[in-house]
Amino acid sequence: MRQRWVVGALVLAAAVALAVGPADAASKLIRLTFYYPVGVAGPLAKVIGEMTDKFNKENPGIEVVPVYSGDYDPTLQKVQTAVMAGNPPDIFIVEISELPTLLAMNAVIPLDDYVKKAEGGKYWDDFFPPFRENSVVKGKIWWIPFQRSTPVFYWNKELFKKAGLDPERPPQTWAELKETAKKLTVREGNEVKQWGVTVSGGWNDWLFEAFVRQNGGWLINPEGTKANFDSKEAVEALDYWVDLMHKEKVGPPHSTWGSTPPDFVAQRTAMLYHSTGILTFLRTSAKFDFGVAFMPKNKTFGAEVGGGNLAISRKIPKERQDAAWKFIEWMTSSGNAAQWSLASGYVATRKSAYEVPAMKEFLAKDARYLVARDQLQYAAGKMMAPNFQKIREILKKQLDDAVDGKVNPKEAMATVQKQVEAVIKR
Amino acid sequence: MNSMNSSLLSDSTAVAAPPRLSATGQAVAVTWRSRFRGGGVYLYLLPSLAFLALFTYYPMGFSAYLSLFRWNVLNPERIFVGLENYLSLWREPLFWLVLRNNLFYALGTIPTTMALALFLAVLVNKNLGRVRSVYRVALFYPTMVPMVAAAMLWVWIFNPGIGLFNYYTSFLGVPRVEWLYDRHWALPAIIIMSIWKNFGYFMLIYLAALQGVPADLYEAASIEGAGAWRRFWGITFPLLTPASLFVFVVAIISSFQVFDQVFVMTQGGPADQTNVLTFYIYQNAFRFWDIGMGATLTTIFICLLLVLILVVFRYVGRRVYYEAD
Repeated sequence: MRQRWVVGALVLAAAVALAVGPADAASKLIRLTFYYPVGVAGPLAKVIGEMTDKFNKENPGIEVVPVYSGDYDPTLQKVQTAVMAGNPPDIFIVEISELPTLLAMNAVIPLDDYVKKAEGGKYWDDFFPPFRENSVVKGKIWWIPFQRSTPVFYWNKELFKKAGLDPERPPQTWAELKETAKKLTVREGNEVKQWGVTVSGGWNDWLFEAFVRQNGGWLINPEGTKANFDSKEAVEALDYWVDLMHKEKVGPPHSTWGSTPPDFVAQRTAMLYHSTGILTFLRTSAKFDFGVAFMPKNKTFGAEVGGGNLAISRKIPKERQDAAWKFIEWMTSSGNAAQWSLASGYVATRKSAYEVPAMKEFLAKDARYLVARDQLQYAAGKMMAPNFQKIREILKKQLDDAVDGKVNPKEAMATVQKQVEAVIKR
Repeated sequence: MNSMNSSLLSDSTAVAAPPRLSATGQAVAVTWRSRFRGGGVYLYLLPSLAFLALFTYYPMGFSAYLSLFRWNVLNPERIFVGLENYLSLWREPLFWLVLRNNLFYALGTIPTTMALALFLAVLVNKNLGRVRSVYRVALFYPTMVPMVAAAMLWVWIFNPGIGLFNYYTSFLGVPRVEWLYDRHWALPAIIIMSIWKNFGYFMLIYLAALQGVPADLYEAASIEGAGAWRRFWGITFPLLTPASLFVFVVAIISSFQVFDQVFVMTQGGPADQTNVLTFYIYQNAFRFWDIGMGATLTTIFICLLLVLILVVFRYVGRRVYYEAD
């Protein structure tokens, strides 16, 4: 008995010495590189810096070095280059549709073993189901939802009043949206002074997928093996865009992701499709009252998720992977998910995050932040497939051509189907 | 790839080293000493030649070699496919659209920039008193702004709703244009921005060349009763031809180098209407990680530039007036 007690005390002492002893800590220090993008407006790099600092203080044996890597595209390029050069960052965030490409490059490890043990096994089920979807391929969990969003619908209540519309009632359906947009479009001669509705460019491929969802369709199957761009649902969705932007001319056919929120603030457009991630920007910049709503439905309400996930590199030693997981688990704890959501405007990824007091307090003041979360019940995973960058370019080219009236929606989607199939089969 | 690309680009500029403004060194009797001196010259050139070989010629050759393979992120094993990459580009409508855009950009920027640069150089070369240097600095200013910063600025200048460009043109009664968001106006917008950005550099070269035009020629012409117009076409213009050749070659090269503006302002859109060769290479090589295709495009790019410059030197270079000839 006594002997065991002594051994136990020694082990404990050793453990304490290991944990707090400065000499040991210094020699055992694991320094992890963490590449991350900032995908929405705002000083989020600062927030990430504060969070990693806090983690480093709480975990003396580990030092996470955050490396801001630009927008989503440059971050992906940096990660891919580093992986190919055999010197990958230990932890990184890239856009969720890139998972099949990362798997093809053998860049990441499955996290199932970590996930099962985390928070007494209750960790994974606490994430909202649509956010989990882009993590699972071939029955394994490859990365953890972090900065996540969905597109939502914004409307300018003041301009609604001016046009004699009920400012508290946003359009509910595609048909209503078209009629409302007509009433809100202000022209002088041939010039449009105020657009009815802006479907933001830049990530318009993402918004298009939402419209296809609202029409009861899908574009690529979750396995990333089958394309469905020439389906009736997709063609109709594009047809609706052509209606808005080309035939009725109530929305601009082209724009950029960064330019449309300022356009909305400057009242150049009365309604806007954009990420929930701009809500804080709009709230702090707009000098008028505006609302946030579900995107109007056609056959159903529909959306798909977006954003970036946290992954661990494959070609690093096991102890580094373990340390990296510690960081990821910490970053995605309920409390930190809530804090990140409050600081960024992203949707908190976990149900329990909405029970955190600071979060509750904030949401009690502004319920608009709840719209994106509530819309999740109609949301699905984002399409993904190997070489998604190329698929995006293919889709965007045809969307652009169609809304300019250069090609009819059916032909456009047939072209996308043919070209995407060629990419998937390669 | 990246280092190859950038070194290629910067090296092309070096190809267009300033032409001799005056012919020097008549034929010297070939002696043992001069031969030795000639050898010494090669010795001195060796370090830079080694550098070029490592970072320019080798990557150029290697990319030509890679262009014969299918090699991309999803097929990490290189497969020899011969000229398949070239053939698939030949059948790719986007490739031809990109070439068309490059041509359009070159035609839109080169003549305008050169004419503007020459015109302004002659103007600020006149004795305007103290304001002259103010003008010179003011005109040269856009050139000193980094391209990416300038491009970000112009994104807002071209903004259809709140941009300066439409604001100013609205006073002239010109209808509002959606500029970067309009498939017909996006490339012209980039051309306008590039002219603004680049003319100052060419103006400076012209200004330097103008210093070398002997004043007595103008005096003589004035005595003969030649007006300003006649003096320009009779004296200034012909004596500036070496500078013009240099400017022309640099302008051609820089017109093919256009990238930053496209990257920042349009990302090639809308509907690839502003996609140009360098951006297309970037997309293929670093977005799609299609290294084989990127190498093919790079090789085409190099050949195209070489041919263009040879043509310029052969046909335009002959007409250049060198003082001592």
